[in-house]
Amino acid sequence: MRAPAKSAKAGPARVQPLAAPEGAFDEQTYLRLNPDVLIAVAEGKFRSGREHYELYGKAEGRLAAAPAGLPRDKILITARPGQAEEAPHPPQGAVDAIKLSPSGGLYVTGWVHDALDRLDALELYVPGWSTAFSAAALARTRRPDAEEVVKPHLPHALGFWGFIHAGQHLGAGKCNVVMRMKSGAELSLIVAIETVEDLELRFLAFQQLATAHYPGPAYFNAPAVIAAAIGPQLVEFSAMLTRRAVSAPFIERFHQPGRRPLASIIVCLYGRPEYLRLQQALFARQPGAEEYEYVYVCNSASLAETLLKDAAIAHRAHGLDITLILLGANAGFAAANNLGAAQARASRLVFVNPDVFPKEPDFARRHLALAAAGPAARTDLFGAALYYDDGSLMHAGMYFEADTAPGFMLGQGEDVTLLRVEHYGKGAPPDDAALLRPRPVPAVSGAFISAARGWFERLEGFSESYVFGHYEDADLCLRSLEAGRPAWLHDLHLWHLEGKGGARLPVHEGAAAVNRWLFTQSWLQTLRAGLLGPQAAHPALSEAAA
Amino acid sequence: MKVLIIAMYHPELVRGGSQQVAHELFQGLRETPGVEPVLLCSADHNSPALFKSGARITGFDGRENEFLFLSHDYDYVWQKLPLPLQAQAFAEFLERIRPDVVHFHHFMTYGIDYLSLARRVCPAARIVFTAHEFLVVCAAQGHMVRPPDGALCERATPVRCHQCLPQHPPEHFFLRAQWMKSHLAAVDRFTVPGRFMAATYEKWGLPAEKITHVPNGLRLPSLKAQPAAPARRNRFGFFGQLIDVKGLSVLLEAVALLRAEGFTDFSVEVNGENIHFASPEIRARIEQFQAGEAELPPAERRVRFNGGYHPGQVAARMARVDWVVVPSLWWEIFCLVLSEAWACGRPVIASDVGGLAERVTDGGDGLLFPLGDARALAEAMRRAATEEGLWERLAAGIAPPPSLAEMVAGYLKVYG
Repeated sequence: MRAPAKSAKAGPARVQPLAAPEGAFDEQTYLRLNPDVLIAVAEGKFRSGREHYELYGKAEGRLAAAPAGLPRDKILITARPGQAEEAPHPPQGAVDAIKLSPSGGLYVTGWVHDALDRLDALELYVPGWSTAFSAAALARTRRPDAEEVVKPHLPHALGFWGFIHAGQHLGAGKCNVVMRMKSGAELSLIVAIETVEDLELRFLAFQQLATAHYPGPAYFNAPAVIAAAIGPQLVEFSAMLTRRAVSAPFIERFHQPGRRPLASIIVCLYGRPEYLRLQQALFARQPGAEEYEYVYVCNSASLAETLLKDAAIAHRAHGLDITLILLGANAGFAAANNLGAAQARASRLVFVNPDVFPKEPDFARRHLALAAAGPAARTDLFGAALYYDDGSLMHAGMYFEADTAPGFMLGQGEDVTLLRVEHYGKGAPPDDAALLRPRPVPAVSGAFISAARGWFERLEGFSESYVFGHYEDADLCLRSLEAGRPAWLHDLHLWHLEGKGGARLPVHEGAAAVNRWLFTQSWLQTLRAGLLGPQAAHPALSEAAA
Repeated sequence: MKVLIIAMYHPELVRGGSQQVAHELFQGLRETPGVEPVLLCSADHNSPALFKSGARITGFDGRENEFLFLSHDYDYVWQKLPLPLQAQAFAEFLERIRPDVVHFHHFMTYGIDYLSLARRVCPAARIVFTAHEFLVVCAAQGHMVRPPDGALCERATPVRCHQCLPQHPPEHFFLRAQWMKSHLAAVDRFTVPGRFMAATYEKWGLPAEKITHVPNGLRLPSLKAQPAAPARRNRFGFFGQLIDVKGLSVLLEAVALLRAEGFTDFSVEVNGENIHFASPEIRARIEQFQAGEAELPPAERRVRFNGGYHPGQVAARMARVDWVVVPSLWWEIFCLVLSEAWACGRPVIASDVGGLAERVTDGGDGLLFPLGDARALAEAMRRAATEEGLWERLAAGIAPPPSLAEMVAGYLKVYG
């Protein structure tokens, strides 16, 4: 008999280490003490407990006979650590799909029952290359279909998906997928890799992010599940696609010869071509409309033909200078506007959403006069009051809030904090003097941003890391603020039919979740230093106001 | 003075009120010394044989100064064409014609932005726009009748329009109004055939001082000789398309009510076609009535469906009835049938709204009943059929409807 543990140092007080048995082998007791052997015998793997004992059990140090009664209120260890199970059970799980794009985007989705024995890694072995997703790098989701199969005792996020950007072409083919569990158990599957286009792969990943079931609210969960690994990979992959989309634009100019525009209105179109002619008709009514040029950058390749025709018709009907830039794929708001700025001729850049129209009869001239009057600190970057179609205020500057959700709501440890953008005066009566007062604000809406070209270029334009569109307006304004010039809100009035400017699909919701994560990661620390809330009291703001 | 008249469809290709007015005005102007009119009518998929390869504007059947604008792929939501070459052809046509007056009787099949285009190509021309309905205000076919409940609409707002056409959000209608107004800004003078329309357009935002009332004066049928007066004035006629807003179903319901009351000493003749443009419900109601009527023994039938008619048949059809019933369920802007009935000496029994209420004097030259009220119409019909001397008194009160010469004079004044 080995010496029993004498102190807590050897292990927890309530655990009694292995005690080798004495006396004769007892079949019934051996099977009772080793239920895994009991099952293995029942399954016919061994003829008897004795056979198992002779072959393995003895070497494993398993008890062959019970001690003189189980010690009460203690745990009795009956085998050496790591050898408790006859064999670890392979997990239940499945891989739904592995998709690979020509540029090396890799997307994998499936489920694994790891409610008890946790997943450690997901390994992919393909001829010519292999990779392993650590469990933490995978996004976990609820899978009602898999829950039907395995019926976990408690709700558990059985689903998983992962994304990685190899940055180079990879060969497709058959993939040996190994789901490796913490226990050492593994499930090995052979899955055929599907090849899909790069854009399709991005679409799938964003759609997955937006439409997956989560243990808690998707608003917090979607950004949280990509924070560890998928987020940066998706941003990088998307940035590659953006660079590709803007690399070969088709540009058509409908210009009156000899005109030198004082300002360039830059509009990013997506999904809804009718806004070009609507905007042209409504801007054309403005005295001074011909002092501007109108640069339309289209992110929907399918609209190219319609827009070429519509620009020709609008130019013929109104005679304003139009530059039409057509992209072969969706480059997103930031890159499209940056490209528009690069192609624009004027020293004043005005970024306008397609669903924004002048509300005041003399907007065009007032804006030019305001921009020319300066001083630069007040006019290098400014926004305007935006109105809903019902006449109420929609925007008089933006501020930021931070929301935190407890981690236990999300089935994870850490709390999740996300930044939220709010508009001053949303839904307010149209003539609230306090809201319309010209002043520096934390940010202004990208629906209307007027910027001096020099300052915009010094800020290096909109950040192209944000996918599709969202937050890059706030990001630009915050960079301007950090560089010493917060955005101003000026007393100019436009309609903004918010949210009606383009088609909104799950893929956009997914991109918005990525952007929410990225924006929070980029700015939370800065904003916590006095820039949160409607009464933001950052020194840059008060200095500018003075 | 060179006047370019622009119409949706040529009336000989597709029949309709606005194109008929435009065409007759064109003919009237042709007989006016010092005026050189040109007519541009559209043709579309309804007349495929008239499209010629590569042509955008062509002549029309060898007629002097009549042209066809070959329209296709029209966008009815925004009222615009997606065709830059068509816009170019229109601009070149204007440059060639060099009109002093560009008179739009419609913009559909061209696009509302052709007003802006005309202004840009002809900066000095006088642009006149005649509204034959409320299409710039109302996206529900310009009828200003609310589809959910058939109520007449007096105020188009984004939310109210969204209720009528829920497939579009309120913002769509806000933008639609802005888009329309931006192009209507090119117009020097608006004309309306019904006085009451001016109020609706003013409320919507058109400047009152730019709106003129010019009634439609057309070449009208006349009865060569009045047939011998029948013993009873109990024959009613319906003239018009068999579509919902013309209200035939109200008349048929009134007939059913009279029958149920045991009053059957009357007849109704229905003249009109295009039932396939009616809503499925109204169409079913009319067809059920028609089938029921056909099952009755001939002596008990009271309603006869004569089918469609062409202008040359109007007088003969009018001669067979004493009264013309106009049970329209919409504003009925001008009502050509009213002019036709009066030209044939027939008093009308009409709904009490819009152009009908404006033109008919209840008890003076006709009878009015509350819009859509079959019960009231039944009573008016029973009174008309039974009250001695009523028909003669009302028929004697009829004033001649506006003539073509009056309309031409009215427009010449607008042309300045």
